Amino acid sequence: MSAEMALQEQVGASSLRSEDVNVWFGERHVLGGVSLDFQPNQVTALIGPSGCGKSTYLRTLNRMHELIPGAGFAGKVLLDGKDIYGSDIDPVDVRLAIGMVFQKPNPFPTMTIAENVLAGLKLSGRRGYDANELVETSLRRASIWNEVKDRLKDPAISLSGGQQQRLCIARSLAMSPEVILMDEPCSALDPGSTRRIEETIVELSDSMTIVIVTHNMQQAQRVAHNTAFFLAEDGNPGQVVEYGRTEDVFNTPSDSRTNDYVNGHFG
Amino acid sequence: MRRKLMAKPFSWQDKAFFYTVRAAAGSSLVLVALIFAFLLARSLPALQQQGLGFVTGSVWDNSTTPPLFQIGSMLWGSILIAFLGIILAVPMSVAVSYFIVFLAGKRVKAIATTLIDLLAALPSIVIGLWGIAVFAPAGAEWSQLINKYLGWLPFFSSTTNNFLGTPFIAGWIVAVMIVPIISSVTREIFSQMDRELINAALALGGSKASTFLKVILPTASGGIVGGVLLGLGRALGETVAIFFVLNLSFDINWAGVLESRGGSIASMILSKFGEADPKTEIPALLAAGLVLFIVTLLVNSLAAVIVDRAQPWRKI
Amino acid sequence: MTLLNPSPTPQPRPAIEPWKTKNPINTRLVVAASVIPAVIAVALTAIFQLAGPIGLILVFMPLQIIAAGAAGVRIYGRKGFADAMLIIFTIFFSSLVAVLLLSVLWSVISQGFKTISPQFLFQNNKYISATTDLAYGGVGHAIIGTLLVVGLTTLVTVPLGVAIAVYLTETRDRGRNVVRTLLQALSGLPSVVAGLFVYSALIVTGITGYAGWAGSLALMPLMLPTVARVAEEALRLVPMELRTGALALGAPAYRAFFMVTLPAAKTGLVTACLLGVARVIGETAPLLLTINSRNETSIDLTSPMASLPTYVYQYISNSYDTSIQRAWGAALVILMLVAILFATARLISSGKKINLRKRK
Repeated sequence: MSAEMALQEQVGASSLRSEDVNVWFGERHVLGGVSLDFQPNQVTALIGPSGCGKSTYLRTLNRMHELIPGAGFAGKVLLDGKDIYGSDIDPVDVRLAIGMVFQKPNPFPTMTIAENVLAGLKLSGRRGYDANELVETSLRRASIWNEVKDRLKDPAISLSGGQQQRLCIARSLAMSPEVILMDEPCSALDPGSTRRIEETIVELSDSMTIVIVTHNMQQAQRVAHNTAFFLAEDGNPGQVVEYGRTEDVFNTPSDSRTNDYVNGHFG
Repeated sequence: MRRKLMAKPFSWQDKAFFYTVRAAAGSSLVLVALIFAFLLARSLPALQQQGLGFVTGSVWDNSTTPPLFQIGSMLWGSILIAFLGIILAVPMSVAVSYFIVFLAGKRVKAIATTLIDLLAALPSIVIGLWGIAVFAPAGAEWSQLINKYLGWLPFFSSTTNNFLGTPFIAGWIVAVMIVPIISSVTREIFSQMDRELINAALALGGSKASTFLKVILPTASGGIVGGVLLGLGRALGETVAIFFVLNLSFDINWAGVLESRGGSIASMILSKFGEADPKTEIPALLAAGLVLFIVTLLVNSLAAVIVDRAQPWRKI
Repeated sequence: MTLLNPSPTPQPRPAIEPWKTKNPINTRLVVAASVIPAVIAVALTAIFQLAGPIGLILVFMPLQIIAAGAAGVRIYGRKGFADAMLIIFTIFFSSLVAVLLLSVLWSVISQGFKTISPQFLFQNNKYISATTDLAYGGVGHAIIGTLLVVGLTTLVTVPLGVAIAVYLTETRDRGRNVVRTLLQALSGLPSVVAGLFVYSALIVTGITGYAGWAGSLALMPLMLPTVARVAEEALRLVPMELRTGALALGAPAYRAFFMVTLPAAKTGLVTACLLGVARVIGETAPLLLTINSRNETSIDLTSPMASLPTYVYQYISNSYDTSIQRAWGAALVILMLVAILFATARLISSGKKINLRKRK
């Protein structure tokens, strides 16, 4: 209980920090010593070639990682200074504070649009909220309200892919998380939907901390304040090669490998 | 330092949820243990009294002191009938599977699959009724013909010229019941088989027949053996369907499939149960059930393991 | 760099299925190879008055094999002979299965319909003997008995079977393989052993006499593996993303299961239930050992009861025509119940597929 209180105590954006995070799948060492400090109210992009461990790293930040069979972990992830892997912390509380949006939109097919927005509250057993108001504010913040306001009772899977993804963002926002993790949220979407989601991300960063994994270098430059470049070389575990302000990473990278990657020489 | 990941339930509701499903899973173990325990406990007096003769001897007599209860001939009869059933069912099952997977068009395939599934769903009492009223007379006619021309073979001799109630007819009934079991496994294996392998064999100049014999059958053999064992388990335990078409006799019938006498543990239990003496005979019948349980459990577990191995794509 | 000559989009290649290729030129030869032996066989059977199907098959089969072999050799050379044999034997054995199956269905349906009437479906077996005219008595009591006994089995078994399926799909315990193998082994449990088990546990010990609920318990181990297996497949079909989606929203595992996974697997679970009922609705041996039989209508599950399978059993044992006719009638009722359960299960699962397709 006290742990939950501690996690929920501070309202608004909080600081998220990882210290020396290592990850294994079975005996395979896939991430080696990643330490990153995410700034409150800022968007951080994680970029890097496929298989560099950036998505894996993202999943360690809200303990979704441990749901994968054979997953191993070392290091610390601190939310407002508190280790979320502490033995007295319920992973459920961690995921309430740190929301997640997946690569493939995954609205609940058996629920309506409105029910999907409220799904998190129902799933976590919350009571005493104004359902109508919450549905509207969440959908507005995910900039999908105008498209769906007349069809809130329709099944969620009747929406297009881009709309589904924004619904999933709204679903996360309804939980008023302090941090949102996004795992390539636009990779399955058309350019129009991608642009709208990017706008949403920029708006949201006023009130929360956002970490986004992306393959799209332009996207990183458009939405992210900071960028971390991940790389796994020749069977070594993935590592952060460079981390800094986005324009620095893209324009004046300090590492030649970063330079090669952002200029499209590999990956 | 690798940290211990707690992908474990944290809240009491989650704990209750997982304990419940674990308990349910455990109950399947408990169920098997209970079946074994109760049958063993109730049949122990009979087993102790009869000794090893219970499974080797062939006398069932409640009037002697002590009474003699031996199921040797029934055990052998069950095996003989199951064996016959499998000999008859394997070609039919493999042929039906080959037909459905490699020969039939889409619509025929759907119809044939539905029919086979329906055959699997027919209760044994229905098959038993059909067996006694429809199949047995026809089967007896064929038996007579076989006996007439092949009677010089020891298997096909007949001392009574009564061709009803023979292991041959019981074997056919069992075959009808296990064709869907064997063919469902075979069909699955055939349809999951690597088409490239078959194409390669044909491209190398193999005929359909040689592809079937040298590529398809060897690759599928593991699964077919598993399916056959599943069928064997079912055949050994088949009760009412055989009950109606077989003349039960404790006079052991080694291989005379056209003789009008045979054995089947399951049917024997049913036939003796009504008038059994609760003090002496019922424990012996329970002991017979225990033997049947152990044999089928072994056969089925073996089958389950083999079928699993042969279908790696079904693993999680 | 611009491509002056962009490569054309590749056409979807037709699947190569050599075993299905047909050569139209040979159609006439194949037709001849199948028709000529049939004609000769019919002629010979008629001329020599061989006994019906026996003569037909004994003459027809060898002739057919020779003709097909010849046609094969004519078309493909020596290689064609083995191919022709493969096809002939496949068709022969498949037809054998079809003949046996259709014979079962046809005899149950044709004989059963002679017996079935409203009175047969609704009256009970009181004052009816093996020789009583078919205009009196029926299986009403047995239908009620079967529904009650199987209904109670379902109430107990479905929750248990689904819970086992949840264990197999939603946990990562080491014990899953053991449980799965055990269930497969249990699915081959001889039904008479299930009956003996309940008999030795409840009736020998004096806990109860012959009773409907004892029969329900005896059916349970037979139904359980079917329910658990089909439910497991249904749960496995629920996409993993839905589960992770729910967990990522901060749902405890039990809520994620009841609010997301379970609704998504609903139709599959109903199918599991239906197939489980179909599996045990015709089971006879366990009921003979546990519920005995009864001639009047009764809904008291603590006393002996009637059921459709035991009714069939009771009447086959007499060789009077009316008695056998009653057995056929009850067998048809069982067959119809099984068919209805199967058709419903298929309808539900195919309906789901159509829905999914529409929405995508």
